[in-house]
Amino acid sequence: MLLLKLIQSLIKTLHSEGTPGQVAAGLALGAILGLTPLLNLHNAVVFALIVVLNVSFPAAMMGWALFVPVGFLLDPAFDWIGRALLLETPALRPLWTALYNAPVVPLTSFNNTIVLGSLVFASALWLPLFFASRWGVVRYRATVAERLKRSALYRTVAASKLYNLYRLFRPEP
Amino acid sequence: MPVAVFRWKAVVPLLVLGTATLGLWLLFAEPIARRAAESVGTTLVGAEVEIERVHLDLPHGRVEIRGLTVASPFEALQNLLQADLLVADIDPLPLLEKKLVIDRLTATGLKFGTPRRTDGRTGGRSDGVIGQVTRWGEQLHVPALALPTGKISIDRLDPGQLDTPRAAAALAARADSARQAWDSQLKGLDVAATADSARQMVERLRGAKATDVKLLGDARRTLGQLKQAQDRVTALERAARSGIAALQAGAAALADAKQRDYATARGLLKLPGLDAPDIGAALFGSAAVDRFQRALYWVELGRRYMPPGLLPRETPGPKRARRAGATVRFPREHDDPAFLLRTAELSLELAAGAASPRTYAASVRGVTSDPALYGRPATASAAAPGFRLGALLDHVRPTPRDTAAASLAGVALPSVSLPSLPIRLEPGVGTMALSFSVQGDQVRARWTVQSERVRWTRDSSGTAAPSPIGDLVWRAVSGIPALEVSASLTGSLTRPELGVSSNLDRAIAERLRAMAGAAVAAAERRMRAQVDSLVDGPVNAVRDQVAALGGDVTKQLGAQRAQLEEARRALEQRLPGLRLP
Repeated sequence: MLLLKLIQSLIKTLHSEGTPGQVAAGLALGAILGLTPLLNLHNAVVFALIVVLNVSFPAAMMGWALFVPVGFLLDPAFDWIGRALLLETPALRPLWTALYNAPVVPLTSFNNTIVLGSLVFASALWLPLFFASRWGVVRYRATVAERLKRSALYRTVAASKLYNLYRLFRPEP
Repeated sequence: MPVAVFRWKAVVPLLVLGTATLGLWLLFAEPIARRAAESVGTTLVGAEVEIERVHLDLPHGRVEIRGLTVASPFEALQNLLQADLLVADIDPLPLLEKKLVIDRLTATGLKFGTPRRTDGRTGGRSDGVIGQVTRWGEQLHVPALALPTGKISIDRLDPGQLDTPRAAAALAARADSARQAWDSQLKGLDVAATADSARQMVERLRGAKATDVKLLGDARRTLGQLKQAQDRVTALERAARSGIAALQAGAAALADAKQRDYATARGLLKLPGLDAPDIGAALFGSAAVDRFQRALYWVELGRRYMPPGLLPRETPGPKRARRAGATVRFPREHDDPAFLLRTAELSLELAAGAASPRTYAASVRGVTSDPALYGRPATASAAAPGFRLGALLDHVRPTPRDTAAASLAGVALPSVSLPSLPIRLEPGVGTMALSFSVQGDQVRARWTVQSERVRWTRDSSGTAAPSPIGDLVWRAVSGIPALEVSASLTGSLTRPELGVSSNLDRAIAERLRAMAGAAVAAAERRMRAQVDSLVDGPVNAVRDQVAALGGDVTKQLGAQRAQLEEARRALEQRLPGLRLP
């Protein structure tokens, strides 16, 4: 069922009315959810951005789903990045000390090596991912999309009830 | 057509979702707080922490914890403590900085050492602080009391283990080489030729004229040669005397080597431990080490979670499906510590298992994760009839200083099985005291147990089999009415020294000595005879060799000297005017 939803989401995202930029922005924001540990305050902000900004919500969900395993795989690298920033860069220590002793900021768990490492990595990846996925969506729509629209699988998926749910969050023109 | 940036229609659902999330959080805040407290407590203590219920009253800054159970990190089926109710007055503002400042904590119904059904220890015996303390305890040598049979066994004496035959062989080789050297030097002197030359000169002088200047010159040279030969003999004699003295010293040193061999042979005797300190350590050493390990465990935990200084501190991150990583704290002067318990008032129930448990009051102050920020040491104190407790954890300065002392009178002391013996000691009610001080790396600790009315029982259910020594120890201890045990620990944490003594030591040791003394003496005699049989032959041979060498050399040199002296005297008689000085 989960796999079906994912395929449905993928197809409908790529064929949605959203512009390639909206799809790419959604995917890149969703990647942040997938790359960083989910239950953190910064992800509430990212989720709010996905909902409020006019980006593709299914693309964001797809980005999240795609990047969760990547996050697990890259945890050692995130730990290394976080450790280097938090403990091995004396120039940044005043910044961390100020943030650690500021209200609310410590609730983000920025001082955890995995959280900080993954957030920095995801932030650095955001623009490249945005441009790469926007180019990919454009190329896809120009080449594969029309043929796929005529396929039986697409018609089956598009006819399902989930499509109606998707329409609630589809990007506005 | 321009694309709108915001999806306004989603704002309301987002607000609804946020409100619902907040509502759910408030609804489940207490279970969440309970689980968080259990998780943090379990990590800190190294054993399961269980809480029945948490009630949060954040508007009034009050948290109530009911039914707290902390498992013992040392005992499988025992709790460290249980508390009926803990009420904490917390400062709400530091919570925004993820800091917990408890202004006042009251705990009622605290009980210690209660039983539990499951093993509450979380780490293996080799993990974390408990592993560190276990390894530390293993270096404290507790001798085994190997008395169940009382037999004195003797290992086979290997001649290769003995020093004396080796030393005798070396001495014999030295004597041989000395003899060869001296013989060669004696031959080199050629005393006979010099003496013959002198005798011939005497003959020539017999018929010579007093005016024969050439002959007189020859006679003078011969006399000079005689003198030189005498000097060489004297020098050789001196060297030989010194060499012989060295060989004789070597022969005398064989006696010392033999004593060492006796000691080696005695080491092969497996004797029961008869020294009183050994017996004390064997009987109560393990119990003492256990107490000291527990005290050190809490000191090490304190040092780990209450470190001195203001450098960033790294602790393991939260448990989750993803890797935990490390969470780093960045304490800053004049800010709140990550955790601070200003004061705690505790109501303790000691001897919880007894028919009439007693309730005491204790107080704790200044427990903090950042002592350098708080600026004062953490203290704990309690005083009541028969009970005293004082502790100070001073991590404010760079070198931590931890001291604690407690004594409890009228407490039911745990029974003790004497190691390897079918005897059990029921100390009854007595006084137990423990003091433990660690300053930097230096440790000083003392554990004492006193009981006026002890009871001894034959433990037939144990694994130790009845033995003559067991009977002997039973006769020695069963009449002893009181128990006094004192264990001390000194030195550095890396090289601690344990000392244990008790009033049972002397009683048992005297009995054992009386019984085992004769057998030990006989066994020692047998070992000495065995050593003698292996050692005396080579020793006597080399002694004879050295004595003979001394005699021979002295005799030969004496003969040479006499020969030269006689020739010289004869020559000088012929030539009175040529007498040499």
